[in-house]
Amino acid sequence: MAERSFQHEVGKLRASRGEVFKGEGILAVTKALLESGVSYVGGYQGSPISHLMDVLADARDILDDLGVHFEACGSEASAAAMLSASINYPLRGAVTWKSTVGTNVASDALSNLASSGVKGGAVVIVGEDYGEGSSIMQERTYAFAMKAQMWLLDPRPDLPSIVSLVKQSFELSERSHTPVFFMMRIRGCHVTGEFLANDNIAPEYNSNSHLIPEREQEKIILPPNVYDQEEEKLTKRLPAALDYIIQNKLNEFFPGRHSQLGIIVQGGLYNLIIRALQRQGLADVYGVSDIPIYVMNVAYPLVPDEILDFSQGKQQLLIIEEGQPDYIEQGIQTVLRRAQLNLRVYGKDIMPMTGEYTGQVMLEGLTRFIEAADMPTLERLLDFSQVVSLRSPLSEPDQQSLLVNVPQRPSGLCTGCPERPLFSAIKQVQKELGPFHISSDIGCHSFATLEPFNLGNTIMGYGLSLASSSALRHVLPHKSISIMGDGGFWHNGLSSGVTSAVFNHHDGLLIVVDNGYAAATGGQDLPSLVAPNKLIATTLDTDSPARNDAQSIENACRGAGVKWLRTISTYSVDTMKATLHEALTTEQEGLKVIIAQGECMLNRQRRIKPLLKQSIASGKRTVKARFVVDSDTCTGDHACIRISGCPSLTIKPNPDPLRTDPVSYVDNSCVGCGVCGSNVHAAILCPSFTRVDVIFNPSPWDRLIGTMRRGFISWLQQRQADHQATRTL
Amino acid sequence: MNTQRTVNMVAAALGGEGGGVFTNWIIDVADEEGWLCQTTSLAGVAQRTGATIYYLEFFPRIDSTEALPVMSLFPSQGDIDIAVASEISEAGRMVQRGFVTPDRTTLLTSTHRVYAIDEKIALDNGIIDALSVRSIAGKYAKRTVQYDMQKLASEHNAVISAVLLGAVAGAGVLPFSKATYERVIDNTGKDVRSNLAAFNASFEMASAAGVEHWNPSQTDAPDSPFELPAAHNRKGSEMLSRLERGFAPPTHEILYHGMARLVDYQDDAYVVQYLDHMKAIFEQDDGSDLYRLTNETGRCLALLMSYEDIPRVAQLKTRKSRFDGLRSEVQAAPRQLLTVTEFFRPRIEEIAALMPVSMGRWVAASSVCRWFLRPFCRGWRLQSSQIGVFLLLYIMAGLRRFRRGMFGYQQAHEQIEHWLASIQAVAPVNLQLACEVAECGRLVKGYGETRQRTSAQLAKILKRIGQQPGILPDQVAALREAALRDDSGDALADLLAAP
Repeated sequence: MAERSFQHEVGKLRASRGEVFKGEGILAVTKALLESGVSYVGGYQGSPISHLMDVLADARDILDDLGVHFEACGSEASAAAMLSASINYPLRGAVTWKSTVGTNVASDALSNLASSGVKGGAVVIVGEDYGEGSSIMQERTYAFAMKAQMWLLDPRPDLPSIVSLVKQSFELSERSHTPVFFMMRIRGCHVTGEFLANDNIAPEYNSNSHLIPEREQEKIILPPNVYDQEEEKLTKRLPAALDYIIQNKLNEFFPGRHSQLGIIVQGGLYNLIIRALQRQGLADVYGVSDIPIYVMNVAYPLVPDEILDFSQGKQQLLIIEEGQPDYIEQGIQTVLRRAQLNLRVYGKDIMPMTGEYTGQVMLEGLTRFIEAADMPTLERLLDFSQVVSLRSPLSEPDQQSLLVNVPQRPSGLCTGCPERPLFSAIKQVQKELGPFHISSDIGCHSFATLEPFNLGNTIMGYGLSLASSSALRHVLPHKSISIMGDGGFWHNGLSSGVTSAVFNHHDGLLIVVDNGYAAATGGQDLPSLVAPNKLIATTLDTDSPARNDAQSIENACRGAGVKWLRTISTYSVDTMKATLHEALTTEQEGLKVIIAQGECMLNRQRRIKPLLKQSIASGKRTVKARFVVDSDTCTGDHACIRISGCPSLTIKPNPDPLRTDPVSYVDNSCVGCGVCGSNVHAAILCPSFTRVDVIFNPSPWDRLIGTMRRGFISWLQQRQADHQATRTL
Repeated sequence: MNTQRTVNMVAAALGGEGGGVFTNWIIDVADEEGWLCQTTSLAGVAQRTGATIYYLEFFPRIDSTEALPVMSLFPSQGDIDIAVASEISEAGRMVQRGFVTPDRTTLLTSTHRVYAIDEKIALDNGIIDALSVRSIAGKYAKRTVQYDMQKLASEHNAVISAVLLGAVAGAGVLPFSKATYERVIDNTGKDVRSNLAAFNASFEMASAAGVEHWNPSQTDAPDSPFELPAAHNRKGSEMLSRLERGFAPPTHEILYHGMARLVDYQDDAYVVQYLDHMKAIFEQDDGSDLYRLTNETGRCLALLMSYEDIPRVAQLKTRKSRFDGLRSEVQAAPRQLLTVTEFFRPRIEEIAALMPVSMGRWVAASSVCRWFLRPFCRGWRLQSSQIGVFLLLYIMAGLRRFRRGMFGYQQAHEQIEHWLASIQAVAPVNLQLACEVAECGRLVKGYGETRQRTSAQLAKILKRIGQQPGILPDQVAALREAALRDDSGDALADLLAAP
């Protein structure tokens, strides 16, 4: 179960012919897959395509009705390997992942798949994680498409285009025997819109209607087949693809009255260039443009005939291609030179080489092009300097003031996150044994590299932290430390990390953060399930029954030969500190693994909140805990915040007329995880933290004791108050 | 050419504020009103505490056979009609990013603050200047509607997204009727009553003629001057009249608060002690900067004299007002049962501080005593709502009558004397320098190791002042700032080591 419930969206997937489907781009892709008659779908979650996986995981019954096989794969490599089902058989299949990171992981299988070629349509939906909102290094999937000869679609970001292109991707793949990348950009994944739905199509083969196993010797990746396959890619598959693209008009031509000019744009950027043209008075709201536009919904391969057709009779051309290297521009230049068409081509010379093409970037680029084209009949509303001045309307002093007074808001761990006490503990141990070099990994725990923890030196990839510490372990003054999430552990960490480390007599420490879910990608289930420990957050019994098919991290490590292994609740800071200390100082040789357990608080709260409400409503005795800071005793040093960084632990103006520094303050979002209290003990903080348990539906015993306590305490307090009254001014 | 264009809205929100709910409401409202609405967001970022923005474009749905408008997926600088911010510094961020421009943009923003991590982790006061953000944001918008939307949300027990929706509706920036907004909230079927109440309250705020159009000059007005409260008893009136007669009016407020704190902390004699110290300081003060020297010294001295030892903490923890405060803080019903758990971790030093001077000194230094006392120096989780524990704390609080004889008292007052002596030594030569030295008193705070560290820093700075007779006020200020820069003490050590 992912962190968001997709029950509502699942219903939409049943929409039939003629119904209007409203929703996000990535859900439109999901619906289009079902309308294309896919036989299987797989993938590995990650922004921005997590929703595709999540909604299908929630839609088991629809998939079962249709006979579609769905798998939440162990990694992108497992997902890519699934596509081999389409090599010998007319099975349509789609897999999805975050790119380029996922494509990198999948590349072994993908290269082989692309070489063999496919019979059934094979489509990879890649969430191109580039630009604002991205969480990875900035690269393009395009390079992979080129080197393996896979086609790459980059659709116009409106839902009808996306849906029809998904369907055409399967046909293109089948016609040209080539797997296809279907690229969705971040904003395209999350754009809302509508399209007219069609009926879902059940695949021909399923668990009731089996196919007959078939062998095609020439599809096997061994010499001499591989030489023929390379040849076939260029002599048969590419021409077939070009034919299909041209005949079915996958790319689009929009005319314009300034016929001596032209703009060539990747489909995904079409809306942006139209907006820039609108703002220059060169296009209307419906996209009718004065300058002709060629929209490449198929970004790879280039279609030379179409490029030449479009360029015929033009004097100046603008190519809009996001990211680097400028593969498309180079390709178009080659096409034009070979045909000896001599026209001025603008591209990365007037557009930025790197970074996302935002509205402002596009407007600046277009304006440069218009000014460079220098045509008297071509009028624009804003000249280049006016466009540049749009970057910021601020005067210099105001700009400076905002620089100081608009604080950064880096991502951080959620309220009550079980990883926070782990990093508090590491920070405290570092004080004694440090400074540390820590190999970090992908996951929520990457946020420990930011304020207030500042722990972690490198991030090498998903599940690769242990492997990335190998060459450092003999030069570090301390045992090497690697931190990995449970997601990373199962994705890659067990094989490339633990197994390899044990084999190579690695003496370092691996901390596996076991929170029960792939939390950073949206709380998807993992092979292992954390044993939900009773946090002091609630005394309500919310332990979920142990999964009988859970695969344990501890057993996996033992199986791989780990001897020193401890499983510890992260919320117990003192125990964690002692264990870390032991792991880093023990004489025992071999890899040390600490499994740091604590259920993801976001998912936990989602799970127990309704239970808590229900319990209170049903009259059952229920205790709700949260923390409070006493403003009277807080002196405003904020050491507690520096050691924790919990969003619910914040500050407020000091109520004391003599103090100027703000006091710490726990706001109402506190879930009572207990880390504050644990830190008071472990880090010897101040006595200002107090836990308050609020009792709902108290038992008669509670009431009796409560009345007695209240009576006695009130009496003492009154006595104290009377005494105090004499000590006043 | 058709010159129609889309209406563009950008909304900045923080994680967990329901920005997604807000955009979904707007989509539904637009849909019911016959408008196309396209939204984009960067999902997932906001949830984990970051700031994020949602972008919406609107266009009237004219005829289904007509071509559809091409809408942008990016907010663009200078191309925004409506900017919504759920927090004031986020409004500042939108201005910074160029999304608020005087020719087009209506800015709807809440004025409350949600502190960012850098503001929270400062060793002293790291809070940004929200007022200047407010005035800049107002300056660059065509029209600004701003009020505390979080307060409205809390008043109606709703989420801020409902209040934001009310602001959009009330400001009339979209051509949609109020009834449609209400219907859409109603249709969500979740927390309808509280969300509708919050929506309506916000609608009124935003649409009323008297929208809280903020005017910087209003808040510049000085507060009403401080008036000395009347005395509660004879001794009180004696001391207050000593204050009135002996000190200039601009110092009365701080000294009064100091006196009130100390009589509560110890007794009348302690107040007299305070006033004696302050008299000496006041006599050296020429009154410049509204008696900065007296005020700053008076403020810090009262805090230093009321150092938080075990009796003080017990005193504060057992008060009725404190228990009442806890109750309202956790939003418990008036007679609801609560258990209150305190987290203590005393060190040997805190225990020794309770002992008579010679014994305390001996205990703190003796490793045998340390070994014996170790069982007490662990993490204690004490339920102060239990009779036994409360009684224990009550007795601890009562120990303050013996405070003057305690080792801790002696230590604290040695530090105070040292600090006061430094101030008084430089005051005749350079009053401004004396002020800076006085302000160094605020460095000392916290408990346990924090107190030890901050006390050591004060000592180091005072030592430097003693060794460097010609030291400039700015240099002392720089040392103080360095001490507050990090809690490792590196910045101060570096500055002290610098030639």
